[in-house]
Amino acid sequence: MAKELIRMKNIKKYYGKVQALNGVDLTVNESEIVGLLGDNGAGKSTLIKVLSGAIPVTSGEIYVRGKEIKMNSTTDAINAGIETIYQDSALVTELSIARNLFLGREPEIGSGLFKRMDIEKMNEVASELLREVGISKNIPPSTPIAALSGGERQAVAIARAMHFESDLIILDEPTNNLGVAETRGVLNFVRGARKSGHSCIFIAHNIHHVFQVVDRIIVMRRGSVVVDDIDPKNSTVEAVERVITGMDETV
Amino acid sequence: MKNQSLFRRLLARPEFGPLVLLLVEIIVFTAINPRFLSPMNISNTLTFTVELGLIALAMTLLMTAGEFDLSVGSVFGFTPVLMWTLFNAEVLPLEFAFITAIFIGAMIGLVNGLFVTLLKIPSFLVTLGMLLVVRGTALFMTSGFPQRTWGAKGNWLTEFLVGDFYIGSFRVYASLFWFVFAALVLWFILNKSKAGNWIQASGGNANAARARGVNVNKTKIWLFMLCSSMAALAGVISSIRTSAANPNSGTGYELEVIAMVVIGGTVLTGGRGTIIGTVLGVLILRIMRNGIVLVGVPGLAYSIFIGSIILGMMALHSWLERRHNSGT
Repeated sequence: MAKELIRMKNIKKYYGKVQALNGVDLTVNESEIVGLLGDNGAGKSTLIKVLSGAIPVTSGEIYVRGKEIKMNSTTDAINAGIETIYQDSALVTELSIARNLFLGREPEIGSGLFKRMDIEKMNEVASELLREVGISKNIPPSTPIAALSGGERQAVAIARAMHFESDLIILDEPTNNLGVAETRGVLNFVRGARKSGHSCIFIAHNIHHVFQVVDRIIVMRRGSVVVDDIDPKNSTVEAVERVITGMDETV
Repeated sequence: MKNQSLFRRLLARPEFGPLVLLLVEIIVFTAINPRFLSPMNISNTLTFTVELGLIALAMTLLMTAGEFDLSVGSVFGFTPVLMWTLFNAEVLPLEFAFITAIFIGAMIGLVNGLFVTLLKIPSFLVTLGMLLVVRGTALFMTSGFPQRTWGAKGNWLTEFLVGDFYIGSFRVYASLFWFVFAALVLWFILNKSKAGNWIQASGGNANAARARGVNVNKTKIWLFMLCSSMAALAGVISSIRTSAANPNSGTGYELEVIAMVVIGGTVLTGGRGTIIGTVLGVLILRIMRNGIVLVGVPGLAYSIFIGSIILGMMALHSWLERRHNSGT
């Protein structure tokens, strides 16, 4: 039995009288890639925002390695080893790759008034990370994000999560708006992350992409988890689609 | 080949356009009227340039963080009035009156920053409101009359801030050194320090910065305070040099300062800023003001030139931007 990394217990979230999350239970194990599926409004995004500390829960508990964590801000989540990569919004396009990688945790050298960022070290680590995550082209770490393609941007975000020892990387629609080759690249980055011992929650509208990379599929509908143990190896895209739309209760 | 890539790199820098414009300005003015380069004219031009420049430097960081401050002109007028009133009424010695003035300047910035970050009101509206409040306070406090400033002749503080000396026939005010010092410090902060990374990230993508644990609100509040304090310092320096603390002074400076910053290549919407560009932008506008008078264009036509420069530079920046993004 794999070791449990995250457990969300009876998570409820109300927006006024609207119930966005209806008592969700969810676990993610170590080195496991979980696909989170559901139609628009099923509660995927709300659940992810709760887990990343972006919005407070109405009630419920979150445990990381068995220890209860209060998620009051994104900083709490990051400190607990949970890193969320939102589509497009995770990077500052004006800044370089290296500056983005270390944003908020810049290494410094010198002391007193002359304390400054260790740009040399930042660039060095950044180059290494880009290779590790599998960017094949030789992109200097001083390149601004604005000059990168969509897939390369995802790679930078994933590399950052891996470097800062996040245990759980949440990918929200990482393959949206990407071409075929780029999508393949991103899926490879996700596999790379698992190989180095990270867990992922992978959210995508494209079920085919999810099938290619995840170990287990969880389906949400109207604020609840309806199935949480679909093995993509023993299932089909069509069967999962029926569960998402509510035509079937399970696969 | 290597030369070409060096030239291309230079061309891609946002400071390149302003640098060329400044050189063209100097060449044209000198060609028409050689007195333009006389030591007296240069020192005259520099004197006021550095006072506005101090505000422009601080505004550069604030604008890089995605906000701007329209109240700097009124703070420029109000804080010296406050300082001289406190001093003339013998409430405080000059040193403490000075500290009070700068402190009140910083507090004005704090209020701006709190309104913008906590109440999420656009900085245009907040600082427009503050402009009127501060200007109104200055006028009300003085009943509209200038405050006398000559009671402090020879005080060490006034010498320290704006004492002058001659190098040949070249008159230099101490404020020039303050400007150079401020430019170096703020350049270091923006480009080399952790805070600079946060400032650029706050303006470029505040949500991404927040998600990384950067305190965007705190960063912006500090910059509003810096901006107002610098406006206060510039106002005090100017009042000492001109021996006049007029509650109306500084009217319209906010727009001139913002013009200097954007001409230099800093983006109005934040994310990218350049101190070197701002220094160039400051010089471009002040030299233009001085030069067109010297070559015989009526001073009243000044605004036409400034407006044209702003439009031209914006067109150039946008063109360079598109070239840059298309990968050439």
